Amino acid sequence: MAEYTLTPAPPLAGTDESFGAMRLTAPADLTIVNIALPLGGEAAALAAIKAGYGADLPEPGASVLAGGARLIRLAPDQAFVLFTHAAPDGERVVADKLGDAVYLTDQSDTWCALSLTGPGARAALERICPIDLHPDAFAVGHAARTVMEHLGTIVLRTDADSYLLLSASSSAGSFLHAVETSCRNVS
Amino acid sequence: MKQPNRVEGGLIDRATELKFTFNGKSMTGHAGDTLASALLANGQRLVGRSFKYHRPRGIFTAGSEEPNALVHLRSGARQEPNTRATMAELFDGLTATSQNHRGSLEFDLMAATDWLSPFLSAGFYYKTFMWPKSFWEKVYEPAIRASAGLGRLSMQDDPDQYDKGFLHCDLLVIGAGPAGISAALAAGRAGARVIIADEDFLPGGRLNAETLEVDGKPGALWAAQAMAELGAMDNVRILTRTTIYGAYDHGIYGALERCTDHLADPGGKPRQILWRIYSKRAVLAAGGTERPIAFGNNDRPGVMLAGAVRAYVNRFGVAPGREVAVFTNNDDGWHTAADLLAKGVRVRAVIDSRDRAAPVTLPDLRHIRGAAVVDTTGRKGLKSVTLTDGQVLPVDCLAVSGGWNPNVHLTCHQRGKPEWRDDIAAFVPAGPLPPGMAVAGAASGTLTLAAALAEGRETAEAQIGDLGFSSAQAEPHRAEDEPRECAPFWYVGESRKRAWLDLQNDVTVKDVKLSHREGFRSVEHLKRYTTLGMATDQGKTANIPALAIMADCTGKTIPETGTTVFRPPYTPVPMGALAGRARGKDFRPYRLTPSHDWATRNGASFVTVGNWLRAEWYTRPGEQGWRDSVDREAKTVREAVGICDVTTLGKIDIKGRDAGEFLNKVYANTFSTLKVGKVRYGLMLREDGICYDDGTTARLGENHYVMTTTTANAVLVFRRMEFARQCLWPDMDVHLISTTDGWAQFAVAGPKSRELLRKVVDAEFDLSNEAFPFMGCGEITVCGGTPARLFRISFSGELAFEIAVPARYGNSMMEVLNKAGEEFGATPYGTEALSVLRIEKGHAAGNELNGQTTAHNIGLGKMVSQKKECIGNVLSQRPELIRDDAIRLVGFRPVDRDRKLVAGSHFITQGETANMDNDQGWMTSVAYSPNLGHSVGLGFIKRGHERMGEIVRAVSPVQGQEMEVEIVSAHFIDPEGERLRG
Repeated sequence: MAEYTLTPAPPLAGTDESFGAMRLTAPADLTIVNIALPLGGEAAALAAIKAGYGADLPEPGASVLAGGARLIRLAPDQAFVLFTHAAPDGERVVADKLGDAVYLTDQSDTWCALSLTGPGARAALERICPIDLHPDAFAVGHAARTVMEHLGTIVLRTDADSYLLLSASSSAGSFLHAVETSCRNVS
Repeated sequence: MKQPNRVEGGLIDRATELKFTFNGKSMTGHAGDTLASALLANGQRLVGRSFKYHRPRGIFTAGSEEPNALVHLRSGARQEPNTRATMAELFDGLTATSQNHRGSLEFDLMAATDWLSPFLSAGFYYKTFMWPKSFWEKVYEPAIRASAGLGRLSMQDDPDQYDKGFLHCDLLVIGAGPAGISAALAAGRAGARVIIADEDFLPGGRLNAETLEVDGKPGALWAAQAMAELGAMDNVRILTRTTIYGAYDHGIYGALERCTDHLADPGGKPRQILWRIYSKRAVLAAGGTERPIAFGNNDRPGVMLAGAVRAYVNRFGVAPGREVAVFTNNDDGWHTAADLLAKGVRVRAVIDSRDRAAPVTLPDLRHIRGAAVVDTTGRKGLKSVTLTDGQVLPVDCLAVSGGWNPNVHLTCHQRGKPEWRDDIAAFVPAGPLPPGMAVAGAASGTLTLAAALAEGRETAEAQIGDLGFSSAQAEPHRAEDEPRECAPFWYVGESRKRAWLDLQNDVTVKDVKLSHREGFRSVEHLKRYTTLGMATDQGKTANIPALAIMADCTGKTIPETGTTVFRPPYTPVPMGALAGRARGKDFRPYRLTPSHDWATRNGASFVTVGNWLRAEWYTRPGEQGWRDSVDREAKTVREAVGICDVTTLGKIDIKGRDAGEFLNKVYANTFSTLKVGKVRYGLMLREDGICYDDGTTARLGENHYVMTTTTANAVLVFRRMEFARQCLWPDMDVHLISTTDGWAQFAVAGPKSRELLRKVVDAEFDLSNEAFPFMGCGEITVCGGTPARLFRISFSGELAFEIAVPARYGNSMMEVLNKAGEEFGATPYGTEALSVLRIEKGHAAGNELNGQTTAHNIGLGKMVSQKKECIGNVLSQRPELIRDDAIRLVGFRPVDRDRKLVAGSHFITQGETANMDNDQGWMTSVAYSPNLGHSVGLGFIKRGHERMGEIVRAVSPVQGQEMEVEIVSAHFIDPEGERLRG
């Protein structure tokens, strides 16, 4: 038994706030692993993903729920895998499914995440999100990189009135403040 | 009697009485009133004093173009100066006070200025306050500023919240008058995503102010029903109280929504929102602005625009006077007489500058043909008007109409130039319009109702037709085109008295003529010399008449004279709205290191480094100042062990078969030969051969490298590498992703660092010098299985490691390292001690890599490999950059060891004059070395490496200091590097 133990303290852990019918939470144990598709090895990588997760990797800007995870295609040669997993070994979990057909980098601690749910969610995001979130332009499952209040952000529509927002973990306080303020201002 | 000037009708809610005060006097109004309409209802004609001459002024318009009726709205911290009473929606408890007078509004002590007016013509500052020159800043300017000007700021923090936001639509309709509503209906019914915005709180535009009918209904009712239909459409968003103030690139418009300005208390919600609207197409339906005719003493309270008089009587149920005369050059003015008569208000006469029959038949109305008003009386309110034939009409209100100007402003925001149309005697929009914009209704010069409705619809259909929508509307709206003939007539030449053009900046006809006499020929010069159109109303009612007079002076036509440039914003935008929520500590994002909480609890003081907050030192009990803390920390690292959070250094995860080759290209030195499990220091050059960043890169696997960058350049390096990957060498298999925030990284430095880490790193990992030598690295576990990375690198020059754990464990790791270090006398150290240690060791940092220095200058010239292609290596070999007598980085110490070196000092050879010609270089970094007991410095000096031991002068004219310094090795501590390899 080691003399010392480390206690995890993700920056937004425990966030759970309500604004009228809207709810803002920080998903617990969200693991994010970056997948890079090797140049010239794309076909093998896509096949490995299909085999490992049972779904095709969608086009850039879209995501799919498969194999207990969400695969978000962020660029032609890049995707994120999001899944719930407490231990800091997400890279290994994905490697077990995809083998060495792809390059993996754990991103769980690089990002912080907020889930915004409820009928006012789109109105709240209108205050900080330059992307058009109208369902005709940004359907369920769509994802985009953008900037909110000077912070690089990935926005993902998880349901009709639900969004998952990812931003850098070091600026989590500013990010939470930006989203909270938006919720408060519209509720 | 309450509200003595109320007449029947109007779009106000008479059941809701609202109390308000003006200059402390209690008054009442109704829901649906503006402050201006309520003041008129209460018989308050005098509402302010003018800018320069302190002339009594009243309400001139009924809209956002108001030049006169500016008030302080609200009180205390919420007091807002220069609020247009015509735009302020009345609410219960509103308080307003008048501006720009000393003493009371009625007896303004500054009104004496008016008697001095013969001396205060255009340009009088420039002519009068020339002498003595030194008086300008201290005497004249403060005196002028104190006497002129408009409202006053509260000088308190703004207690309100503001917000910003982003909206998207297929079609943006700007203005909800007849053309705008017609456009929005057409587009909304066709299924397009529509935003319709109007500055008023009640959409309808002139339909609310006129008695015209649409589809057999009163215009205001038609507007209300149409807006209700639009409001019920999911694809339409209505923004009332919203001004589209600017047209920007790519169909983007700026909009200011006044959310709570009409409420006594904003209820914690944003007062105003600054929207950025992304539109695919836009219809500008901003309507028109009526213009006055200039004549003597035309600025008295009671002289108003004729259309505004109709707005007050029809929309607000207020008669602006009891005895009214109309002075017009066009048919539209006659509607004012008709509408007043219909409400039982006495109309003395219609004075028409045209010698022709009346366009409408109004029984018993006196029509004075081919006449004009030359003068008026009534100091604090109009009493009579004098006509060109000398007759005097006793009236308390004069409704003036000089025709209508299309509101072309937004069409010009991208340098569009309006064109003159003779038939309406006005400028209309002309190309190039902002891309995606079309114009309809009065804004395009279509000044009559039926035509405006049709044009709104047709324009919208064409606009959304471009986007693939087809029309869904059956029939055109039924309405008539009212008579609108207009004969240009700008000012009454017979007037001997001052005739105002720009009421807000007190510019008269005489000023325009004077500026012409003094040689100002361009309209832009006229504007700047006279200040015409430079007040908060931007001359909406003043500019065209002034242009006409200037054209008259120069003998040119109005179109030849041209307009000044229209720029955003259309109407004033409060600073608070531009700032939005970016205030106080949320002015910009802040980034916290993983150990921030621990640092806060352990005496850290923080310094801002970019967006980061970093611990600069940790104060312990008894320490008297920062130097005590920093000296202790720096000594402890050299004597025992210290721990520093270095998470802010940029980390880039690099993967791919070609990762090593790629690094060869972005670094000046070679990386492909680096063995797995090893770290190498690397230097990056710009294309021009100048150094721009440095750091270490570790090879963790065959296809896996982890790069560190400086804190400042973390984003820049990533961006440049991504460019290199995607654009310069797209055929390489290399993938980059930032992990800066993902790993909490700590420097553990000092002779006891290995012993400390031994207690934390899991036992199966051998940390001995043989197993884990200097510049070794590896993936390990700590504290019983937590994944970690260990790098044996040293910025301090001591035996040192950097250890990284997933960021979630960072705070805990800082605590564990400090606890484990207690037995060795460990200390946490901050950026100041970090800096002391690196200066003692002669390591370059931002001060040395300042964007002007080369590898040769820092003494690392040999690192720039010429055996491979890499960014910057070719241009780094330019002869000027590799001269033998180039500046070189060396160390300096004061000859008198008690003296403190001064950063920024320039080096001068002994015996030479301290001037630019003799400049030998400069001191880049200095620190007090607690380990050596004196000040140490790094700096660049010509041929420094060959001048060890030489004494030179270090001169700082800025600090007024000079001292003798000795050139020494930059490595003050352990020049052989034995400690870090130990």
